[in-house]
Amino acid sequence: MFHTTFYLRRLHSLCGLLVLGFFIIEHMITNSVAMAGPTIFNQVMGMVEEIPKPLFYSIEIGMYAIPILFHGIYGIYIALQAKNNPRNYGYLRNWNFALQRWTAWFLVVFLIWHVGYLRIYVKGMTGTPISFELLQNMFQNPVVAVLYILGMWAAIFHFCNGITTFCMTWGITKGPRAQNVISLISMGLCAVLCIATVMFMSSYFMY
Amino acid sequence: MADKKVRFIIERQDGPDEKPYEQEFDVDYRPGLNVVASLMEIQKNPVTVDGKRVPPVTWECNCLEKVCGACMMVINGRARQACCALIDELEQPIRLQPARTFPVIRDLLIDRSIMFENLKKIQGWIEIDGSWEVTNAPIQNPYTAQLTYKLSQCMTCGCCLEACPNVDYSYLGIEGLREAKSPVTADFMGASPVAQAYLFNLNPVGAFDKPKRLNALMEKGGITSCGNSQNCAAVCPKSLPLLDVLAQVNRDVNIQALKNMFNF
Repeated sequence: MFHTTFYLRRLHSLCGLLVLGFFIIEHMITNSVAMAGPTIFNQVMGMVEEIPKPLFYSIEIGMYAIPILFHGIYGIYIALQAKNNPRNYGYLRNWNFALQRWTAWFLVVFLIWHVGYLRIYVKGMTGTPISFELLQNMFQNPVVAVLYILGMWAAIFHFCNGITTFCMTWGITKGPRAQNVISLISMGLCAVLCIATVMFMSSYFMY
Repeated sequence: MADKKVRFIIERQDGPDEKPYEQEFDVDYRPGLNVVASLMEIQKNPVTVDGKRVPPVTWECNCLEKVCGACMMVINGRARQACCALIDELEQPIRLQPARTFPVIRDLLIDRSIMFENLKKIQGWIEIDGSWEVTNAPIQNPYTAQLTYKLSQCMTCGCCLEACPNVDYSYLGIEGLREAKSPVTADFMGASPVAQAYLFNLNPVGAFDKPKRLNALMEKGGITSCGNSQNCAAVCPKSLPLLDVLAQVNRDVNIQALKNMFNF
């Protein structure tokens, strides 16, 4: 009677939409500040440093690290279960299903590198604050810049497609028409966020 | 007309644990020819294109009019009924494969008994026999009845299970459990039994057992691991409204989960 798989799966869905969604929006906002130039970007980064450390760490661990680790680890298990078959059944939703899993695999590797290097190594171990110049130096390597854009795009697609499937899993959009409308809206959001990513990434090369 | 041939590439397998291999056959074309009729021709004269006489291809068929579901196989990469797969509408050469989401018994013949097991699991029937008095049955809303009529057309063919990237019963042996190919096996039962659970939940008498069915669907191997690829609705030969069904039953199990939590 204790449906472990059911609750884990629903928790996975909730974590994806709320926590990862918040995380992506937060990244979009802070990075968009880069378009205003190094001075303002560094000021905003400094404001983040102003948050009292105990509060900052508990938010970071409780609201980010744990839900994301759960979503990632349980997500690997879900991705391993799928036998992707868009070649035989080339419907849009089936392609999205496969892409959801392929972006997930990319994100697992990307996030280990991204969080491991910037948060744990640079900020945590060497104690260097994240600044405009630091990111600018990092993106001088075109491979890093391209991988970061791909990482953002993968996360954005994964999140936006996740909105559509979330609405199905929770029984919010029932009819095919409602599902199509949500799908169109979330893919529109995906396009907007992807373009915004390219815009703020290019600002690191303009100053 | 008689010299026009149709080429078939058939994936064969001599037994449940044997390795699959391919054989090619030519069948004389005739107007209106379908895959089942072609397989009957091959059965009459099982000679490959190389002129080798081989054991006839094994497959399953029954009604020949898309009602029984028995002849489901993978035709040119897609799960469908062989009886209504017209040669004129297929790209040639025609590739026939067994539906490998199920255990293969021989050639194109598969073991679909798991679908019956799943119908038992979700209680795909209405309890009417008991110690109580059976009097006038409650009336069903005619609009609901239209929907349930549609849902009742499911013929357990298994197209939705074969097309679904989240269903895999290939590890089930003919006699019990065979070893799984990968350590992580899929645990979604497929759209068909979910639609049947919904059908019996909609029935005024069947609704008495709705919580029972929903709890069965919440178990591992129920509806939970549906990944919304929506292939099921695209391949269903009876065009069941599976998208509505899955979303509605998802809604129902979520409500049932809340009831389980707070009525505990």
